[in-house]
Amino acid sequence: MNKILSMTVLVFALFSTAAHAKEFINHDNLMSHGDGHFMDMDGAMVMGQNTDTLPGGCDKIAATKEITVHAGHKYAKKFPGRMFAFDTQEWEFEPCTKLTVHFINDDEIRHQWMMHGLPKYLYPKGMFHLEVTGPGEVSGTLIFPPGDKTYLVHCDISQHMEKGMKAQLKIGNGSGDLPSIPGVTANVIQDDYSQSIPDINPNPAPVKNASASTSGDNTVGSGDDSLVSGVTVIGLLIGLILAPILAKKFKGMTVSEVVAYIFELVSQLIGFVINLISNIFKKIFSKKAIELPQDK
Amino acid sequence: MQKITLSLILGAAVVLMPGLASAAADLPKTVKIDPGPVEPVCNQNNPDWRKAQTIEGVKIQESLRCSPDNPAQIAAEVKGTNNISMQTLMETYYAADAIIKKNDMDGDGDPDLIIIKLEVAELNGHSPDFDGYVPTFDIAPGVQPGMWVFAPKSRGMATNSFVGTDANPLLRAPSPVIRVEQGDVVWIQLENSHYFPHTIHLHGVDHPWVDSSGEGNDGVPQTSDKFVLPGQSKTYEIRPRQPGTFVYHCHVQTHVHLAMGLVGMFVVEENRPNNWVQTFNVGGGQVRHPSKAILEKYDTEYDLHYHAMDKELHSIIQKYNDPRLIARDMNRLYDMTDSTEDYHTLNGRSFPYTIRESMIVTEPNQEIKIRMFNSTGELLAIHTHGHKGTITHYDGVEHNPSAQIMRDVYNLAPAQRNDLMISTKDDGLHSYGEGIWIFHDHREKGITTDGMNPGGNVSAVVYKKYLTEEGLPKGIGESITPLFTKTFFQRKYPVWQDIDEWNSLGEVDASDYVPPPPAVPVEIEPAPKGMGSDQASVSDNSGSFTNFLFGLIIGIVVYLLIINREKVMALVSSSKGGN
Repeated sequence: MNKILSMTVLVFALFSTAAHAKEFINHDNLMSHGDGHFMDMDGAMVMGQNTDTLPGGCDKIAATKEITVHAGHKYAKKFPGRMFAFDTQEWEFEPCTKLTVHFINDDEIRHQWMMHGLPKYLYPKGMFHLEVTGPGEVSGTLIFPPGDKTYLVHCDISQHMEKGMKAQLKIGNGSGDLPSIPGVTANVIQDDYSQSIPDINPNPAPVKNASASTSGDNTVGSGDDSLVSGVTVIGLLIGLILAPILAKKFKGMTVSEVVAYIFELVSQLIGFVINLISNIFKKIFSKKAIELPQDK
Repeated sequence: MQKITLSLILGAAVVLMPGLASAAADLPKTVKIDPGPVEPVCNQNNPDWRKAQTIEGVKIQESLRCSPDNPAQIAAEVKGTNNISMQTLMETYYAADAIIKKNDMDGDGDPDLIIIKLEVAELNGHSPDFDGYVPTFDIAPGVQPGMWVFAPKSRGMATNSFVGTDANPLLRAPSPVIRVEQGDVVWIQLENSHYFPHTIHLHGVDHPWVDSSGEGNDGVPQTSDKFVLPGQSKTYEIRPRQPGTFVYHCHVQTHVHLAMGLVGMFVVEENRPNNWVQTFNVGGGQVRHPSKAILEKYDTEYDLHYHAMDKELHSIIQKYNDPRLIARDMNRLYDMTDSTEDYHTLNGRSFPYTIRESMIVTEPNQEIKIRMFNSTGELLAIHTHGHKGTITHYDGVEHNPSAQIMRDVYNLAPAQRNDLMISTKDDGLHSYGEGIWIFHDHREKGITTDGMNPGGNVSAVVYKKYLTEEGLPKGIGESITPLFTKTFFQRKYPVWQDIDEWNSLGEVDASDYVPPPPAVPVEIEPAPKGMGSDQASVSDNSGSFTNFLFGLIIGIVVYLLIINREKVMALVSSSKGGN
């Protein structure tokens, strides 16, 4: 049992480094499976490889080109609202170009550089396809047919194209632009951003010292605002009703007299209210409605 | 003369009246709703896949259902993608490094280091390019809730072809059942191919809290683990000492990520010599290569994963393309405490699709091992028709054999697992005999798809005697073909259309219908007194009684005021004048 355990520990130690190491692998030793399909046991793949067969209509290879394409999460940084991207979104070549693509995946997951719409007699399913789990590199070559055409280049892993890993490759003058290529063309179906006007500081921190009390007053004040607005309406109504009566009353008085009269009225009113309250209290307590037992 | 003409006309009108009235008094007519295209009940039959066979030295059990698992795929799952021929591998969608099995450390004939790679796939997601979802996975005809799943690492396209949008067979709900052997060193490598952060938490599975390098191994961001960000990978290391039926799930924003589908069964099989277990059971259901320990006691084994979805949550990823908007809606605007579950699935599908994939096919005198898992948010009450099963394990732990109970309704709390033994011994207790016996949730919403029945998590135990060549139940009840239409689940097809020869419960068509004026009842017998009018007066009385009480009180107050008017005046005047 101990032996097994120690063996296990040893194996763990040996392999754990492999499990955690995310070393860059150059997948340059792929096995051919025929029909331009190459693969290795680490998941790197080339499909539709064609280094020498000229497509119909090409007399010769017009040009020999090489490109290096990076793919990964970090290339989406410059495109807000995208998650994955290639480092390049557009390429242009002349018809009958022989192109070698060095595809470098900088992430730790699978990515693809997949092209559709090639002639099916030369490329199975009309596809040229590079796939590699990162970090790593895989390379493949193809020869383009003649004619102006725009080819879709994308990663076909679920939602990778939708979330930004999309590009176009134009042969000759191309045949127009494809939609939703980050930084190049707009989405066909666009998101609704109308609800995206955020309050970027919803709870401002209280400012220190004297201004702290001011901000406190502000909140109270703002709380009162709504109350005042209701009372204001009532005040306005009463004012409208009283206005004609007051107008009659103050006819022929000077401003100072009016002010003095108002003060007098107010003082009388206050006196009335105070007296009323005190009388009520007296009425209630003088009777001693409830006599406490110890008073006897 | 004029008078006679008038009376003639009036008389004719009176005579004709009944005829006219009856024509006008007809109710609207019944019409038939065109169900539209009807899918074949069994859509993709691979007869060769159904037979018992041996591929790459892997014994694969017979699977007589309509959509059996691909035997080449099972061979890869048992041997590992590194131990099979390229030809077999190419018959699957697996990546070459999806399942690595090696190092027979204890020399008992099976590999003891298992490296499993999982990706995160979105199903029925949004496209900025067209008005539809991609890649699609229908849980029922035309029903496509947005979902996330852990998926075995695949190669090539997410869809079956460039033309269609349907997901490749490895990208499906539920997240695959993972099977390992007790004592195996298992590395689960999460390659986060999704646009949100995720982790894996191994629920119930024996695992150290930190891995060999001291990194978090429990999957909980609040305690041990960093998020596995989009494009990153992370390996979880375990060596489970206890067998049982367990769970794995994402632990980032768990309330929604689990509900979205990032949850699956994790089975640890008992250790036996030369025990190659089927690492993945994609889509759950029958385990076509059961472990040695299972075959000691049972004839067949089934994984049944129950899940439920709230369509409000599952439509968020279909509403936007921008991940920031999806995160906003899902993490902040969506309130799970107000949620209701609308879709109820068994192994990722709802009835009627469940009968293509998740039927239990059996014959008399067999022992069936069932592992049942509830990943919904509510208690489940699964009922088996025609059988009483014995619950042998709860949450992966064996129940005291002498205390094990038999039931025909099995309660499963959220995240709970029950291991069942179903015996097809026809003794009136274990089994009532051969037939097509359905099993389903007995909370009745569980047998609906967004409220449409039949739907939900219904499936069946079907005896071979009642199975067609195609692997479908040979039913003798009503036709189930209308259920294989989108029209049905769009609620546009009357559930009882054509139940009899004149379609008496069909759809009403009132498009050119003018209702006649309501008839005035002829008094045949004087109506008995009371009844309706009485009730009205009772309710009136209660109202007027309140009014009366109110009036009485006001009267008393006014009387008291008048009586004491001098005191009141004195009080008022004394207040006015001051003392």
